[in-house]
Amino acid sequence: MPWLSSTTLAKLSHGLWYRTVLAISITTLVVVVSEECAGSSCFSHLSFCFCRPTTLLPLRIPIHLPKPKMGIKGLTKLLADNAPKSMKENKFESYFGRKIAIDASMSIYQFLIVVGRSGTEMLTNEAGEVTSHLQGMFSRTIRLLEAGMKPVYVFDGKPPDLKKQELAKRFSKRAEATEDLSEALETANKEDIEKFSKRTVKVTKQHNEDCIRLLRLMGVPVVEAPSEAEAQCAALCKAGKVYAVASEDMDSLTFGAPKFLRHLMDPSSKKIPVMEFDVAKVLEELNLTMDQFIDLCILSGCDYCESIRGIGGQTALKLIRQHGTIENILENINKERYQIPDNWPYQEARRLFKEPMVITDEKELDIKWSAPDEEGLITFLVNENGFNSDRVTKAIEKIKAAKNKSSQGRLESFFKPAANLSVPIKRKDIKCMLRSFKPAIELKMSSVQPSNGSRPMVFGNLSLPKYNLGSKLHIFV
Amino acid sequence: MLELRLVQGSLLKKVLEAIKELVNDANFDCSSTGFSLQAMDSSHVALVALLLRSEGFEHYRCDRNISMGINLNNMAKMLKCAGNDDIITIKADDGSDTVTFMFESPTQDKISDFEMKLMDIDSEHLGIPEAEYHAIVKMPSSEFARICRDLSSIGDTVVISVTKEGVKFSTKGDIGTANIVCRQNTSVDKPEEATVIDMNEPVSLTFALRYMNSFTKATPLSNTVTISLSNELPVVVEYKIAEMGYVRFYLAPKIEEEEEETKPQV
Repeated sequence: MPWLSSTTLAKLSHGLWYRTVLAISITTLVVVVSEECAGSSCFSHLSFCFCRPTTLLPLRIPIHLPKPKMGIKGLTKLLADNAPKSMKENKFESYFGRKIAIDASMSIYQFLIVVGRSGTEMLTNEAGEVTSHLQGMFSRTIRLLEAGMKPVYVFDGKPPDLKKQELAKRFSKRAEATEDLSEALETANKEDIEKFSKRTVKVTKQHNEDCIRLLRLMGVPVVEAPSEAEAQCAALCKAGKVYAVASEDMDSLTFGAPKFLRHLMDPSSKKIPVMEFDVAKVLEELNLTMDQFIDLCILSGCDYCESIRGIGGQTALKLIRQHGTIENILENINKERYQIPDNWPYQEARRLFKEPMVITDEKELDIKWSAPDEEGLITFLVNENGFNSDRVTKAIEKIKAAKNKSSQGRLESFFKPAANLSVPIKRKDIKCMLRSFKPAIELKMSSVQPSNGSRPMVFGNLSLPKYNLGSKLHIFV
Repeated sequence: MLELRLVQGSLLKKVLEAIKELVNDANFDCSSTGFSLQAMDSSHVALVALLLRSEGFEHYRCDRNISMGINLNNMAKMLKCAGNDDIITIKADDGSDTVTFMFESPTQDKISDFEMKLMDIDSEHLGIPEAEYHAIVKMPSSEFARICRDLSSIGDTVVISVTKEGVKFSTKGDIGTANIVCRQNTSVDKPEEATVIDMNEPVSLTFALRYMNSFTKATPLSNTVTISLSNELPVVVEYKIAEMGYVRFYLAPKIEEEEEETKPQV
């Protein structure tokens, strides 16, 4: 590490998760940053390899995002590798008319990091209070409404006791970042300042309350969860109150949200398609029950308890498939090789995923979309928080116009999915070759598929010629 | 093994032109009864269902049910290379990743082979229940296309209402409003020019004109169009393909806010 400047590292850390880096440095040094950031240091594993320029290959490098690790470790990758059919990329626009539960805390956090920030400066009102979250919430919600979606925001309540440890860790990380920040301020390293100041971000009660007030004025329903917001979102989705849950936190799947969306709240400028996960397909493709999937998530590493050192997603999946439950794994596992944490509270974690504290009572859940309160919005945003009055007035017009758009019906509300006679055959062999990097390509080359009435046995007979084709296909793609 | 020989090759060309605007990629399903397709547009507001029955082909061989994922634009590109009088044969082998279109000129002096790569398409198949419609309007397809085109220059949505008097298409836009009423008219020389209204109950539904206009791309397939309407159901716009089958378009209506609130959600 000493021969790499911290600026280079900072550049790396600003990247997205999997960025392809051809080569860094002038001559032949290739930097491979591997291993997710688990410890407090940003890059826990760095490996360097020297190779001739002709052999330089694109390398996949997971890069630590400047935000606390949340949710299930490595689940996206695990699903991309083992259950690619469970994820589908859809256009943002295709969600019009859908009711969607959004994990508000996660969004506010994103807004605080991204919206109107430069260095340690953030958007503020006259009193010097930060307004990035309001700006973000206001504009992104309007974007959803304009696309004809009906968002419901769900706010976090009291965290479960088990999560406190994780929260304490995050707190200490923030404290560390605050120290790093003051150091960076002294040396006036701009990139470091930005990096560390982002890490000091915390969503406070005040931020939440501001956002709740804003959303109510906009006529967008708000649900205050008794405990975890993701759990409440999942419960709304299970009860059919909403079509899907939008969050960046993979926990939502573990809580059993039938449909889970990622990147819905990303800024439009990023042009990232929405990634839709279907829990039923996840289970089908992994060939697990929901209980086993929850165990898999706990083993992979969740917010509620430590994971076993040396067991990552892939190993966890193998163990669950082999033994079925964590109990059986613990009985059969090599205890010399794997250190099981003392008093490991996996059962408690499991209970939190299976029976989280949520509101299910119809009366308490007041989910209604109404017209915006124009005067209220102007008072709150323009007078109290220094927003530009013209822009707020225009935005209110947009909200009103958007209401008209949400009236277009969807075919699915009239016709139900039917057993398709022409279900494409699962051809994992070809898929593996085709999708080495991208998790969900909608369209792939394929062969003529016999359908309907053909038993898997028949498919088996066909698999050899297809395999050959697969290698040919490889060249096309 | 799949081999379908269609003497009237221009028909297939017209079918592709009719549906390719609405749907980009779709699975063609072949069974012993016929060649069919069901696909939704990307926003899941409209659906196209195509059926070409096996009897309509000169030669029809389909050993087992096969589905072929096809990019419709690419298929249309290939079919454009066929002459209007050409005989088209569709061929595919089991386990193959391509489909072959063979074009034979009527005099048999030119034979072209076009091989197209297939795709694996993940598509949702919807079950469409047989329904009794409140009103069924049959009218010249060119007339319907004209109405949709004219109205879309004024507004974005069309209200189609059927009453005893006839069928009314109305729209509203920034510059003003438009109303077109077509009355029942069966006293014409040619039966395809007739407007026939079969109404059990008056209906009135609102639709996005954008989709209606894209349906009218099927006008060359048939002289008449049948529009079936029921309150609270998608409209069906059907173009019959002589002696072979049909192209049907389904379009979800626009719904008033209040109604939607009371409906059970998906």
